[in-house]
Amino acid sequence: MALVTSVRDYINRMLQDISGMKVLILDSETVSNVSIVYSQSELLQKEVFLVEMIDSISASNESMSHLKAVYFVRPTSENVQKLRHQLANPRFGEYHLFFSNLLKDTQIHILADSDEQEVVQQVQEFYADFVAGDPYHFTLNMAANHLYMLPAVVDPSGLQRYSDRVVDGIAAVFLALKRRPVIRYQRTSDTAKRIAQETAKLMYQQESGLFDFRRTESSPLLLVIDRRDDPVTPLLNQWTYQAMVHELIGLQDNKVDLRAIGSLPKDQQVEVVLSSEQDAFFKSNMYENFGDIGMNIKRMVDDFQQVAKSNQNIQTVGTNIASLKLYSCKDVQLLVLVTVIICECFGFTEDMARFVDNYPEYKKMQGNVSKHVTLVTEMSKLVEARKLMLVSQTEQDLACNGGQGAAYEAVTDLLNNESVSDIDRLRLVMLYALRYEKENPVQLMQLFNKLASRSPKYKQGLVQFLLKQAGVEKRSGDLFGNRDLLNIARNMARGLKGVENVYTQHQPLLFQTMESITRGRLRDVDYPFVGDHFQQGRPQEVVIFMVGGTTYEESRCVALQNSTNSGIRFILGGTAVLNSKRFLMDLEEAQRISRSGSHMV
Amino acid sequence: MATRNRTLLFRKYRNSLRSVRAPMTESKSGVGPVIEMASTSLLHPKRSYTPVSTEDPANSSKGAVTVGLPPDWVDVSEEISVNIQRARTKMAELGKAHAKALMPSFGDGKEDQHQIESLTQEVTLLLRKSEKQLQRLSKGGPSEDSSVRKNVQRSLATDLQQLSMELRKKQSTYLKRLRLQKEDGGDLEMNLNGSSSRAEDDDFDDILFSEHQMSKIKKSEEISVEREKEIQQVVESVNELAQIMKDLSALVIDQGTIVDRIDYNIQNVASTVEDGLKQLQKAERTQRSGGMVKCASVLVILCFIMLVLLILKEIIF
Repeated sequence: MALVTSVRDYINRMLQDISGMKVLILDSETVSNVSIVYSQSELLQKEVFLVEMIDSISASNESMSHLKAVYFVRPTSENVQKLRHQLANPRFGEYHLFFSNLLKDTQIHILADSDEQEVVQQVQEFYADFVAGDPYHFTLNMAANHLYMLPAVVDPSGLQRYSDRVVDGIAAVFLALKRRPVIRYQRTSDTAKRIAQETAKLMYQQESGLFDFRRTESSPLLLVIDRRDDPVTPLLNQWTYQAMVHELIGLQDNKVDLRAIGSLPKDQQVEVVLSSEQDAFFKSNMYENFGDIGMNIKRMVDDFQQVAKSNQNIQTVGTNIASLKLYSCKDVQLLVLVTVIICECFGFTEDMARFVDNYPEYKKMQGNVSKHVTLVTEMSKLVEARKLMLVSQTEQDLACNGGQGAAYEAVTDLLNNESVSDIDRLRLVMLYALRYEKENPVQLMQLFNKLASRSPKYKQGLVQFLLKQAGVEKRSGDLFGNRDLLNIARNMARGLKGVENVYTQHQPLLFQTMESITRGRLRDVDYPFVGDHFQQGRPQEVVIFMVGGTTYEESRCVALQNSTNSGIRFILGGTAVLNSKRFLMDLEEAQRISRSGSHMV
Repeated sequence: MATRNRTLLFRKYRNSLRSVRAPMTESKSGVGPVIEMASTSLLHPKRSYTPVSTEDPANSSKGAVTVGLPPDWVDVSEEISVNIQRARTKMAELGKAHAKALMPSFGDGKEDQHQIESLTQEVTLLLRKSEKQLQRLSKGGPSEDSSVRKNVQRSLATDLQQLSMELRKKQSTYLKRLRLQKEDGGDLEMNLNGSSSRAEDDDFDDILFSEHQMSKIKKSEEISVEREKEIQQVVESVNELAQIMKDLSALVIDQGTIVDRIDYNIQNVASTVEDGLKQLQKAERTQRSGGMVKCASVLVILCFIMLVLLILKEIIF
């Protein structure tokens, strides 16, 4: 069962039993959860005629007692306080409270205390506490994502909040799926270990009654891993549609903000929606590479132009028909002539009728075509301006193929190239450093210096910070396929075979992890179980949670893996959805804090 | 998907807290009884309309929850939905009438035609009326109430559009089948027309018609007149519906676009309210410092001066 369906079911259940005009009240996080799976027109069908945020509700004093209020908020202490005030001065006729996660008894007590007018009809927990962007990919959209990189002593309360939010999100996913998993975590990551243990405590001790679901033959698996085990994937430039849009322009809750683009074509909305559930073209093209997308879009535009041309004819003929006066006369001669004309026009009338029938479809098609054409045009422009074809080729070589000397030459050339932007230079040096950390330290130092001299805005020591966080000692996985013999052999075979597309040859580390799970060969040493859990055989459902964020390249990998029908269903989730900008931002923030922390010491 | 109901626990706490509070609140006045709101199904066509229990709004003290009457525009929206429901039932009748007219019968079929015509007209009229009423819903300044109105309007517009499209489809299928039927019986007439049109205008009168041909021509004449009427009717209704669709498409939300996103609509309301306020302030400022005002005042002063000069002239001379 896909995650999107679960959230939709929750919302349907919330609204179906309450009759009459309703107002839906959300907070800043649940608004993303709901907007990404439910549309405004569907809300209108359910008679929800107003949607408000819990912050702005108190601002007005207008009493709207003919509306019933449906609250769907996270059970945070801030929300409970706001609810307290609103219940004390109720504006609506009835109050139905739905919380997206577990309520504490004290919170229920506070709410009961403030409900003097007894307007609250029900209080329920509906566990839709995550943003389900795609059927097998969810995110928690966390703001302070950088905290996972810092040791606990730096900001213990911040890290506790971070960990609590993650545990809440994971718990909500499993409650929505009605499963209780066996939990494993990546040994080398403290944050992952902490989260895994706290999740286990919640599911098996604190709320074991709630999680006590019907056992299936093999328990599902929750695997908590750390982003720093694969720092390469977020740094790479992407060439498949969904990942590319996020990398070059930015995709937030399946929306693209086109405001940064200079000139938009007329009628083009400033924001557009890219959702696989609602856009058939996007669904079939989201994992295709750029060249294929171009061809498919051209085909779509051609089809549309055919339709548009015939519609134009209809419109002119329609006006002609309207002005055609039908003479009724006794004269047979004229009658015959008119009959002939009418028979001809009848053909046109049919076309016009078809046009009227199809007008909404036509309008929708036009909007869709315009949206995709704008996106692809803009991305082509960016690729051209930043010389991304050149840069990406070197990136892919750094990530996938060997040869330190050649790599050094290539990176140096690109650093010297004036048209390469600062962020691309930084990424290249980072990728080189991650790969050839131990080989030829002199050349590595030279690259650092060159980078610092070329990019004025570069914050000193960022690459070194990355190496400290995610260098070869910290990683447990075999990121570059040069650790164990099997992977080396595989790489050699691939090199001999040749790649069909040099820009998409990279496979994220996640792919190997999923393969190991499928074969039942995930090493206990690297990924231990929490407590005394034990997995018999292969799991049938696996949720992989990546602390620090996922990327759309990885979500694509998961979707493709699921379509191979290997008998295991994978779901991927993370604290955020990263692109290179976001990953670098998190790194910089973590570096800034750790620096200021060390000064205090 | 798992859920957990906390209502029982909540009620338990609430009751126990109420009993704790009750002895302390004897002095409090104006704590009115809680009014149970009867479920109003203002816009759901399947449920019957039950009136809202009201209490005099003037009675509102701080404690009581006043269940006031919903605002007036709700009545308009209720009317529209009733009309839509009526249109739906009429369309079902129309569907039956179509089916009956298509069945082979020995009679003239004129009553069937008449019924179909009248039903179609009624439905189109209802749709037209609903659409006009819908436009009236959209007044009102930026406030929460106006957002509710706008959303009610959108939902009704979607229903109307669906109905119009259904009507169109029914009509077109009916006409197609009718044409197929008539064509079987009308081949003869077609040939006759074809051959006649080839004749020259001048020579037309010279051709002698036999009686047989005369009757054929009369019959074909009748059939043609009928078809003419049908076609005219279809064209008119197509035009009307096209007009309705065009008007409605401005109101109906395009599914799958950004306008259909809940978060976009929340943000937009906030920003439109702000924008509206800014526009109003700007308008006020420009009006106050308007050039028109300056011009008018200058002219008035000039008039006054001229008047004074005139009076002076009279006095002096």
